[in-house]
Amino acid sequence: MLEVRRDHRCCDRFAAMKTAVRTSRRRLLKDAVLGPPGDATDDAAPEFAEPGELPRAITGTVRDISPHVLVIGNGDSETRITLTAGATAWRGGPLDPAGVQPGDHVVVRLHRAQRGVADRIWANIGRVTGMIIERAADRLLVYEGTTKPRQMVTIPRRSRGRIQVRFPNLEPGYLIDVIGLRQSGTLEARIPGTSQPAYPVSRLPPPAMLAGRVPSAISGSATWHEPFEEPPGLLGALYPALDPEAGCAEDPVGGIPLRFARMPYLAVGSRLLIRNDCTGSSRTLPVTGCAAISRLFNDRCVTCGTSPRGRVADLTLASFVALGGELERGCFNATITIGR
Amino acid sequence: MFQRDDNDWPLTMLSIVLAEAREVQIPLLSAMLLGACATKFARILRVGSLDAGLGPTALFPMGLRRPVASATCIVELCCGIGLLVTAGQIGRGEPANTIRLATAVLFLVATCALIELRISHPETGCGCFGDFSTSPVSGRTVARSALLAAAALATIGLPPLHPPHRGAEAGRLLGMLLAELIVIAALSPELGVGLVRLGYSEPCELRRLPAVRTLTALRRSSQWRRRAGLITADVPVDMWRELCWRFVVFPARAADQEAEVVFAVYLRPHRPVIHAALVDAVTGEVLAWPAPPARRAGPGWSTEMKPPEPEPDPDPDRGPDLVGSGVLAASTDPGQGIPAYRDPPAPRPDKDLALYRNL
Repeated sequence: MLEVRRDHRCCDRFAAMKTAVRTSRRRLLKDAVLGPPGDATDDAAPEFAEPGELPRAITGTVRDISPHVLVIGNGDSETRITLTAGATAWRGGPLDPAGVQPGDHVVVRLHRAQRGVADRIWANIGRVTGMIIERAADRLLVYEGTTKPRQMVTIPRRSRGRIQVRFPNLEPGYLIDVIGLRQSGTLEARIPGTSQPAYPVSRLPPPAMLAGRVPSAISGSATWHEPFEEPPGLLGALYPALDPEAGCAEDPVGGIPLRFARMPYLAVGSRLLIRNDCTGSSRTLPVTGCAAISRLFNDRCVTCGTSPRGRVADLTLASFVALGGELERGCFNATITIGR
Repeated sequence: MFQRDDNDWPLTMLSIVLAEAREVQIPLLSAMLLGACATKFARILRVGSLDAGLGPTALFPMGLRRPVASATCIVELCCGIGLLVTAGQIGRGEPANTIRLATAVLFLVATCALIELRISHPETGCGCFGDFSTSPVSGRTVARSALLAAAALATIGLPPLHPPHRGAEAGRLLGMLLAELIVIAALSPELGVGLVRLGYSEPCELRRLPAVRTLTALRRSSQWRRRAGLITADVPVDMWRELCWRFVVFPARAADQEAEVVFAVYLRPHRPVIHAALVDAVTGEVLAWPAPPARRAGPGWSTEMKPPEPEPDPDPDRGPDLVGSGVLAASTDPGQGIPAYRDPPAPRPDKDLALYRNL
């Protein structure tokens, strides 16, 4: 029987205040010693996004729902959101917004022009990205990194064909990335989040050799991850190539040789200008951690064209939605600019 | 009636050249086999596993990959040595022919395996020369294997080799060897990979450089000597990297004010460019550097103390306990194998009080 052990260790990296303080302090010190960025005159929004500046994603639990109003709660606070005819919803598949039920955990994207009006609602959406470590019948136990608990994934019969087309090797050692419905601690997989790499994690192909000058702008795929011990609404991104000297708290201990990502080394607190190539939205976000599992994928995002390389950033849920991403699609084509 | 006609010299020359060409094959095949075995062995040493992605082994079930890889390596080694040993008078006749036939069979099997690999696993490299053979199997790779199989077949029945006698004969042999090497090089994608690796220089943004080296370079720099009098601790309070720069922050005291000295060290192994700034510890505002003190002081020395002259450090590369202080994540750098000074010896108050002083 598959057992979800809670033997993960986590860090205080996601404590919002600590990350924010460290980020702004490092930025200040860097500017003090090297001078402010030379191209500060560009219009690419070099400042960090404030949580109040991009309030396009609201998360919480549905407390009440009527055909015109959705009430969601987050702790003691309650938010009333207007439902219009243009709003759409998702709960394992397309759904009428009024079909969302009290008790559902929802992510609401607000209308771009009208505050307080829902544009899109995702109910009970979840995602598991990691390495399969056990399989029993239609259940998988997935390892998502040292800082997260192991995830139980069930693949219902009706979704099996769709998932196995993209993930033919549902065996221990292979990577998996599925999106589905969160149900009492397990994820009921509905949609494949990407195509499965052909290699098991123990046989990662050697990284390509890169020569010359590394471009400051790198195009690839931006994905999202479920918040775990992250404060709600945290804006930031996990980056696949943190300086090995600083360490990646999310790395597995003594297991997988992590060699795949060939991207410039950065640190927690570094700035990334992330642009959604599909919508044109862009914002500067801080690096909040290490994308230990995302770096093992060499997939492509095909939301709007084919991204030229794999995953360049693993965004927090709020950042992904704020940049115009559709959660059920799993990724958007993105360009990150480093050093702004 | 069967007297030799002078007009037959082209045919005679051709038969001589063909016979000499057969002689060239034995050292060439042996070199190829031993080279293939050595590069595979080098990969095993690097990866730590025999079955880690060695080309046609991908055709076998997971459990058989390791024995197949081992067997391939051993057969290559045996054939390579056997060809050399039986090239002369030793083992002439049947033993020599058996080795040569085994070599031909090995290359024929390899050719078939490569064709199958190309069809079933088009993204997999042939693994013929270990890490150098990572590019997908192409027609060139298959042709090379077939050529070597033909070369091995041609050596069957060849009399024992003898050293070339005359200058012209030696020149012909050398020319043929060179020509065949050129053909094999043209059929070898590994050559391009090898040349690229020889001239490869990793961009600094992707280069791993241990933090200990950065600190060593910093402590040897003139920037450090100029600012060391202000620094009040031996261990940096923060250190991070962005692209080609590593930033190191030390607590400092300037004009009775809590401050921090920030160094930006360019990530270059030798004589890196270093910038420094003095900032307010609370606000982060840039402060002016104070006038240089009349007497140079080391890190951690307070102006009130009058210590004896410190002895020169026998190991200037040794640094503070970066792991214990939380600045470094690992005790060693896996890429470089350089230890990050983990267990400092007990303080020697009479000699290096300041170094271990915890301010």
